[in-house]
Amino acid sequence: MTSPLVLLGGTAAVILGLGLLFWPRLGLLARLRGARDYARRVRTEDTLKHLFSLEIDGRRPTLQSVAGALGASPDAVAGLMTELADSGLVDLAQGRISLSPRGRDYAIRVVRAHRLWERHLAERTGYAEVDWHRIAEREEHRLTPEAADALAQSLGNPAYDPHGDPIPTASGELAITGGLSLSSLGPGDRARIVHMEDEPAVIYSQLVAEGLHPGMVLNVLETDGDRTRFWAGGEEHVLAPLLSNHVTVAVLQPEADLPEPGIPLTQLAQGQGATIVGLSPGIRGAERRRLLDLGFLPGTRLFAELRSPSGDPTAYIVRDTLIALRADQARHIRVQP
Amino acid sequence: MSSPAIPMPGSIGRSPDPDVAPPAAVEDILATAQALRWEVGQEFHERLVEAMYTEAARLGDRAVTRPGTEPRFDLDRSIDRVVTSRRWGFPIMILLLALVFWLTIAGANVPSAMLANLLLDQAHPALKGLAAGIGMPSWLSGFLFDGVYLATAWVIAVMLPPMAIFFPLFTLLEDFGYLPRVAFNMDKLFQRAGAHGKQALTMTMGWGCNAAGVVATRIIDSPRERLIAIITNNFSLCNGRWPTQILIASLFIGPLAGTSWLAGAISAAAVVVVALLGVLLMFAVSYLLSRTVLRGEVSSFSLELPPYRPPRILQTLYTSLIDRTLIVLWRAVVFAAPAGALIWLFANIHVGGDSLAGHLVNLLNPFGLLLGLNGVILAAYLFAIPANEIVVPTVLMLTVLTSGLVGQGVGAGVMFDADAAGVLTILKGGGWTLLTGVNLMLFSLIHNPCSTTIYTIWKETKSVKWTTVASLLPVAMGFGVTFVVAQVWRLVAGG
Repeated sequence: MTSPLVLLGGTAAVILGLGLLFWPRLGLLARLRGARDYARRVRTEDTLKHLFSLEIDGRRPTLQSVAGALGASPDAVAGLMTELADSGLVDLAQGRISLSPRGRDYAIRVVRAHRLWERHLAERTGYAEVDWHRIAEREEHRLTPEAADALAQSLGNPAYDPHGDPIPTASGELAITGGLSLSSLGPGDRARIVHMEDEPAVIYSQLVAEGLHPGMVLNVLETDGDRTRFWAGGEEHVLAPLLSNHVTVAVLQPEADLPEPGIPLTQLAQGQGATIVGLSPGIRGAERRRLLDLGFLPGTRLFAELRSPSGDPTAYIVRDTLIALRADQARHIRVQP
Repeated sequence: MSSPAIPMPGSIGRSPDPDVAPPAAVEDILATAQALRWEVGQEFHERLVEAMYTEAARLGDRAVTRPGTEPRFDLDRSIDRVVTSRRWGFPIMILLLALVFWLTIAGANVPSAMLANLLLDQAHPALKGLAAGIGMPSWLSGFLFDGVYLATAWVIAVMLPPMAIFFPLFTLLEDFGYLPRVAFNMDKLFQRAGAHGKQALTMTMGWGCNAAGVVATRIIDSPRERLIAIITNNFSLCNGRWPTQILIASLFIGPLAGTSWLAGAISAAAVVVVALLGVLLMFAVSYLLSRTVLRGEVSSFSLELPPYRPPRILQTLYTSLIDRTLIVLWRAVVFAAPAGALIWLFANIHVGGDSLAGHLVNLLNPFGLLLGLNGVILAAYLFAIPANEIVVPTVLMLTVLTSGLVGQGVGAGVMFDADAAGVLTILKGGGWTLLTGVNLMLFSLIHNPCSTTIYTIWKETKSVKWTTVASLLPVAMGFGVTFVVAQVWRLVAGG
């Protein structure tokens, strides 16, 4: 005969265990199901986004391309496509995969959430540029259309994301952007960067490391077969075609649009004075306004006064105040010595 | 890229009120605006803001006349060239900090001894006598005066003088304008560790008191970098821990030298090594945190280096005494009083032939020995969570209580201090070795923050999760470090 205490305790433990498993919304099973639902939604939305981006580019999606985009097997994708066709998001007529009008609306909503979130990250947070896409990939599935509208309003209804992609409006309109690949330019051409592709991350992070940003004006110096040598942001850059293919530019009139003059502030020697000619488009949002607040304005005279004994930061005299900046901020300020 | 003409500010970024249905003409305008939105360019807002600032600056420059055009603060620049120079920057910084510490430690000795004499040697027996005179039961007078009063008095005697010296000195350096230069010099190191340069200031503030250091992290804007500064502040060896370090170093490390003048230098060096180890750990933990759980946002770093000015001594004394010293002291007292009561109760309540404290020490002893410490030390650190100042007196009391040394101590639950020789006799009697001393110094550096600091962390972060991390991470590291040191020591020494 076991003691009543053990029986009572055992029963309580069993009830507790069952509760943990089956409790609605909070139990283990409900959570697993929630996670599965979420995973399915992510897969659906990623598929629609892929189909939409191919549609914009005028290319035709295949099971293989979808499988590649999702990182899934073609067999699994085949099942997914049937599911999506059943729910009216995808059209499978005549053996072609295409978006139904409802599917297109859905895709545009996800794209809008993604690009708005990237804009938010760029304007309001200190996340590194290479992290924006990854975080937005996650948040696009969580942002409801209402939250996206509120976000857009608080950001001042931006038209473009920080990579230069247009943000669809709340009613689903999307500007079609043109432009040439940087690799197609010839020597002497002058152009403005309008878009930098953020996928794959490896290539994008190399472009960011070069200090390139949408909005920069560049001057092509030389093209020798596979490499493009150009002048932008006060520095010379050389890009391999793998990289320059990911940069879209709008060609400018060489005589009308002069490139930004000056050199990055980081190249100023200690004790040297210079006049600010502009802030690079690469520094934006709160960080940019902080610099403006401190008085780093075009036309302002400054002196590189002190360098930290460890090499960075450097202190500059601006408007009779001594302000220390790290090199990764100072490189966004262009000056004319 | 020509800057655009300045439009009326009211027309920017304002979207139509969704509740009011627009008439047809307005709809036309909206449609036009919508179409134009794609054409104004991507950096429209940025250019607009910049144009507004530039215009404001132009108006300002037109209205304000300035004497001279070249940089003016010549004396300031000369000082700056020295204190931030490659050759002298770091030596001057280390020298100034060493001077502050030396003044604090040396200067606090006399007032600390006076306070101890007054509160512990005079007032305590007087209170006990008074209690006996009015017929107070001995358990009550023991609880109130041996427990609550003694612990509180101890914390005040040990804590008040160094804080009353350290904080004003620190505030004077701040007021003079030197501290921002420290942040300027050290920023590169912190940048590599993924932290903010201003963490140099909160770290040095932590050498005075970790709770004050945690409060000081408010100067760091980014929440992520601020959290790193808060969690790692505990690795700054605070005033409450310096006395333990100095005592143990002079008892166990100094004698290794042989001659007496060398002994002093070696024990001082040992304390410095421990403090530097703390700095190293601070960088290491900052690095790890900023690359793992606290990965992400980087805040912009812009540091104003203000002009030097003569410090306002009286005002500095007043604010640093009121704002920093008294507030921190008050919190410590609030936490020390119940701790004193608890220690007394644990030493005086007997269960099954031994006091609760005895049971606790026996329970912790195997684990303590595994770490090269012992049960008494771990129990003392449990009791001393409210204030690190009472670690040494609690260790002495518990050692006498549990090892049954005859002729030492003044009764169960009564903390006491002794001269160096007396302390050494008691500790040797408690089975202490050189390893115990070394590991106590390490554990004193790497263990949980005191309850005052934990409470402050919670108040500053309002997060149970990060308060828990900040409390448990160091103690887990302390266990790890002392364990490894103990095992390697035993392997090498063959003990």
